[in-house]
Amino acid sequence: MKSDRYDVVVVGAGLGGLTAAGAAAHRNMKVALVATGPGSFVNGPGWLKTKDISRASAAPDLSEAISFFCEMARRAGCPFAGDISTAKYLPTLLGDFQSVTLAPLLLWNAEPRDGVSTAIIGIQGLSSFDENFMAERLSVLTRAMGCSGTYAARQISFSRDMGAPVTTLRIAQLFDRDPDFRIELAYALRAAASGFQRIFVPGMLGLDSAAEQIAEFKRELRCAVCEIRTLPLSIPGLRVFHRLESYLQKIGVELFRGFPVEEVVIRDDLCTGVRIEAPGHAINLRCESIVLATGRHSPSSLNGTHAGRDQQMRPLNSVGAVMARNLFVAFSLPNSGVGSHGDAMRILTGYRAGNLAASTKGNHAA
Amino acid sequence: MQLDDLAIDNCLKCSLCNTVCPVLAADPRYPGPKRLGPELERLRREGISTDTEWVEYCLGCHRCDIVCPHQVNASEMIARAKAAHRKPLVRGLRDWWFARPGLLGKLTTILPALSNFALAMKPARVLMSKLMQIAPQRLFPKYTRPDLRSPEMTGVSISKSARQRIVFFPGCFIRYNRPELGRMVIDLLERNGFSVEVASSECCGVPALANGNTAAARSVARANVKALARQIDSGLHIVTACSSCGHMLKTRFAGILDEDKKFDGAAKKVASNTFDLAELLMAQADAGELNTSFQRTILRLAYHAPCHQRSQGIGRPWYHLLRMIPGVTVEDMDSGCCGMSGTYGFKQEKYPISMEIGKELFASINAAQPQMVATECATCQMQIEHGTNFKAIHPAEILLRAYDGTAPDANRNSCPVDECGCTPCNQKPEGVDH
Repeated sequence: MKSDRYDVVVVGAGLGGLTAAGAAAHRNMKVALVATGPGSFVNGPGWLKTKDISRASAAPDLSEAISFFCEMARRAGCPFAGDISTAKYLPTLLGDFQSVTLAPLLLWNAEPRDGVSTAIIGIQGLSSFDENFMAERLSVLTRAMGCSGTYAARQISFSRDMGAPVTTLRIAQLFDRDPDFRIELAYALRAAASGFQRIFVPGMLGLDSAAEQIAEFKRELRCAVCEIRTLPLSIPGLRVFHRLESYLQKIGVELFRGFPVEEVVIRDDLCTGVRIEAPGHAINLRCESIVLATGRHSPSSLNGTHAGRDQQMRPLNSVGAVMARNLFVAFSLPNSGVGSHGDAMRILTGYRAGNLAASTKGNHAA
Repeated sequence: MQLDDLAIDNCLKCSLCNTVCPVLAADPRYPGPKRLGPELERLRREGISTDTEWVEYCLGCHRCDIVCPHQVNASEMIARAKAAHRKPLVRGLRDWWFARPGLLGKLTTILPALSNFALAMKPARVLMSKLMQIAPQRLFPKYTRPDLRSPEMTGVSISKSARQRIVFFPGCFIRYNRPELGRMVIDLLERNGFSVEVASSECCGVPALANGNTAAARSVARANVKALARQIDSGLHIVTACSSCGHMLKTRFAGILDEDKKFDGAAKKVASNTFDLAELLMAQADAGELNTSFQRTILRLAYHAPCHQRSQGIGRPWYHLLRMIPGVTVEDMDSGCCGMSGTYGFKQEKYPISMEIGKELFASINAAQPQMVATECATCQMQIEHGTNFKAIHPAEILLRAYDGTAPDANRNSCPVDECGCTPCNQKPEGVDH
């Protein structure tokens, strides 16, 4: 049997893989994205910490990579706010603050503000969010920061059967599926928000909701709203993933989800494709170049024989030679002795690898 | 996904499976794949009874298995619990029949006209609802006497330039309800240089497994494996045009023959030599060998990828094939499961959930306003025609007709019964309540 043919195959659907696939597709490549599941960023709020940005700040192309990512997210319907030269303190579930540089719009406007009163609104029966604890902690911390903003806890409940226990997933699914629920939720929040200038709610405003849906909800709400990421499942993180994934599919990226890569096929110093462990028989995706964006799992795909990578992000074998001219590894290699570089590095290396993979097309016969 | 008893230890309880479960999204009371799968499986393995009726409500769509970053096969754990679950008498009896579409097909096609007439009569449907708990809103597909191809013709190479011999596994729906679709598939394969034999197959066993009847599934699986392995040995590849049959054959009949020494090897052989029709044609296209002499066909399509197509890990071959026809535009609905899941949607107690699941797909189709919907699964087609006013057909029909430049008729005449006297639903929606 003959096999499918792509310009670029990207393995891994974390921030690195999604950015690499987007970058290659943006350069009119025929791209396949292979992944067994989403990257771990879906468990977080989906924002970029200032710490992560500063780790990658030495790279001259960081700004370009982040701009590309933000533009991709905007087109995907999950716009980010902020830029790499700014930072602000955003609240967390534990009533703490984290220094953040870029965040999804729904999480962005939650910094302490002088003279602003904020209601932290919990949901009756939702165990993964403690509005009282948050309000108390944020009040103390904000005062210590010399800010005159105030926080108070409120709670709402639903008249309909939400299942037991109530989860942010259930609320998010109803938010996506049922326009009546969105109105019911907006009314309940509006009542609880009376007298406040801003509300914080648990991350629950839809798994797939696009920017327009959120904007419509905000109009109904008539006050500023910010989401707080709960313990996993993190709806805000998942939403970024869903929006990006379906955007990539819309612009022509073919998704192969759910089955691990059996082998990255390397002949001499050329990579000819990847073999996916699909049911029955393996699926061969032949391609001109490959991006491995599987983080710590990359060495097992390369039989663990590589030792670092060159300036062009190509993995090197034990004698320091390039393993394959058309194979690029996004993110750090575990042998490099450095642990996690954070999300900004993932985006940066994904962007680079995607572009390098795209520019190898036509340079050799695969 | 991997078929491995140790997979349970890979579950980190991240709940990603719950985010993609169509049943959980439609009914908050459903415990979800994480709970019914790995969580309760630990107790079940210890012999602790955790029997719950909810295991019956799993669709078997495999979306949970596919999203799992750690390849935990949650849906197979639920399928095993489903097989161990005892149902009330009436539902048990109904599901005994639902597990055997082959037998049902053989019986109804003795006198197809009579069967179709009887199955469509309102009093009969009310009676079936009362006695069998079959949703009266549903109409059974029309049955036709099997005439896929006379036995004398099988095994004869039609095309002189045939490069490869194919054995076509039609499945129950094509065999008993839409033999003309089977003939189209054969025609399509022959026009692409294959010589086609028709498998003398039984049911693939998906309905039996879905209805918790492992014994019935194993019995058809053995018969199929025996017959198909012989044909593979003589150099043939198996091709399916039904995504559920394809899924079943490719997953070694969902692993039910794994401990069966006599059949396990043959089941693996069947699995590795089975191809989805579109997968095969797409491979032809990639090799530059697809017959692309399509006539210009002006057609605006919505495409729905069935769950058992997604679970094969082959991408979206039909979506790409349809787009090769000049003049055809295709929009991928990408709106989740249709909710029908074979016999699931026919069950009275599951009908409301089935329709609630389909809501998102129906809304996407209504927003796209296509001329028709293309989807390769027969029961997805039934559900789409039931939930929208659009006709849904197998993409093979569109591809085949494009060679002759005839677009399929977009008028929906989905009432499967000529004799019932109703006019097509799009003209008279207030007629028979489909």
